[in-house]
Amino acid sequence: MIIDSHTHVDRVGWYDPPETIIRLMDEAGIDKSIIMTYRDAPDSEGALEYIAEAVQKYPDRLIGYARINPRRGEKAHRLFEKAMEEYSFKGLKLHPVGNLCHPANQATIDMIRLAVQYNAPVLFHCGDEELTLPLQIAQTAVACPEATIILGHCGGYFHTKDAIRVAERHPNIVLETSAMPYPQVIKEAVERVGASRVLYASDGPGCDPTIEVHKVRMAGLTVEQQEALFYTNIKRILDSVTPGGGAP
Amino acid sequence: MIVDAHVYLGQCLFGYGQSLAEILANMDRLGIDKAVLVPVKPRDYHLAPANDLVADAVQRHPDRFLGLCRVDPWQGETAVAEVKRGFEELGACGLYLDPWEENFQANDDVVLPVLQKVGRYSKPVVINAGHLRVSHPTQVRDIASRFPAVQFIACNGGQINISGMLQYEARRMLETCPNVVIQTAGTYREDFLEEITTEVGEARVLFASRSPVYDQEFEMARVRFAHLSMSQKEKLWGANALKVFAPE
Repeated sequence: MIIDSHTHVDRVGWYDPPETIIRLMDEAGIDKSIIMTYRDAPDSEGALEYIAEAVQKYPDRLIGYARINPRRGEKAHRLFEKAMEEYSFKGLKLHPVGNLCHPANQATIDMIRLAVQYNAPVLFHCGDEELTLPLQIAQTAVACPEATIILGHCGGYFHTKDAIRVAERHPNIVLETSAMPYPQVIKEAVERVGASRVLYASDGPGCDPTIEVHKVRMAGLTVEQQEALFYTNIKRILDSVTPGGGAP
Repeated sequence: MIVDAHVYLGQCLFGYGQSLAEILANMDRLGIDKAVLVPVKPRDYHLAPANDLVADAVQRHPDRFLGLCRVDPWQGETAVAEVKRGFEELGACGLYLDPWEENFQANDDVVLPVLQKVGRYSKPVVINAGHLRVSHPTQVRDIASRFPAVQFIACNGGQINISGMLQYEARRMLETCPNVVIQTAGTYREDFLEEITTEVGEARVLFASRSPVYDQEFEMARVRFAHLSMSQKEKLWGANALKVFAPE
């Protein structure tokens, strides 16, 4: 069983309708994928609805995360509530390059605290660009110790050491393998942080899920560790989400 | 035939490195027929002995290797003289410029004497491209457009950015400079490689690993699993590299 923890479906930016990721999932032997847009709601109209429609079309294959701009304050909060309660989404995606919010500014923290009310994970784009560096997002993890903060791309090309470092320091940080080009970093992450806090993801369909699965299989992990990365860890995170809110 | 268009030989100042025996063992294990060897920047900073090391490997295994000559443009006349030595005495098949490790901007005036010298030999120039401050695709495009008779090979797909923000500029570089091709190693989003191959030109992409900076086996997956025809893949695997580095 494989769940891909980070993929995209959208019709703006890159044109990637749900059928594209479904086809690549079938090629790679992936059972389910978490999907999100390339753009922020509410800045781009219809973004969350596009994900909701895709999940409705492929309920056994796709799981929605809401990508939202925290700067929109109350409007953003109401949208997230709608995504969780009406659309049955399972998490929040934040891309500071897109929303230009520092990951530890008040607007972002307020947004994350709302996600915590649903026990919903928060997936950050975490690469080499300003506002997305592991040591910047680590400040968020400190401010919101009850949140599950996922570092998408595990620090990108040049910041994987920092990503592992901050995950060692903060137990609420989870690392994610997508697009980062180093199989050996996955091995190092598992050895230093533990297999229970590393997730397989592809960043598909642009990054080919088949290749991203191959990368994890190359990392020299045990069968049990691979099972944790491919399935057990994200299932545990998703199962703990409370769709109606009310988490501690 | 599989040609890895970029394999580093030697122990680098920056911590990575591999021996000739390790390179040969990996090539045999992975079914790689030939490789273009690239000198590293050694711990003593002296590039000439690193060029000698590559030339010696090529001389010992002419059926397996081609070799590049590396210079630091900041060394002025010494660099120009090393270009001459590389091509006339060492038998180098091209020049390697690394703006990232040698800390110069790819289109800076300091590079001009080196490229003017290269222009006299009809040899290609491999450039460590995609680094934001020194070899951004706009900078590579700028220098390539000023030397239209020189063939440039841009590493990293011409773009290192895990948000995909440089893909537009990398494609513009390829579309406006027919004398530029890209390597596959480390490229963000495999669909970018597919797009360039099918929409810009089948001759514009070369398989390369940049091993050991990137994992040679994993980098092969980018071509192996690409959604391209067998004939297109044959060009990426080796035909394009031979055309650039070993023309009839």
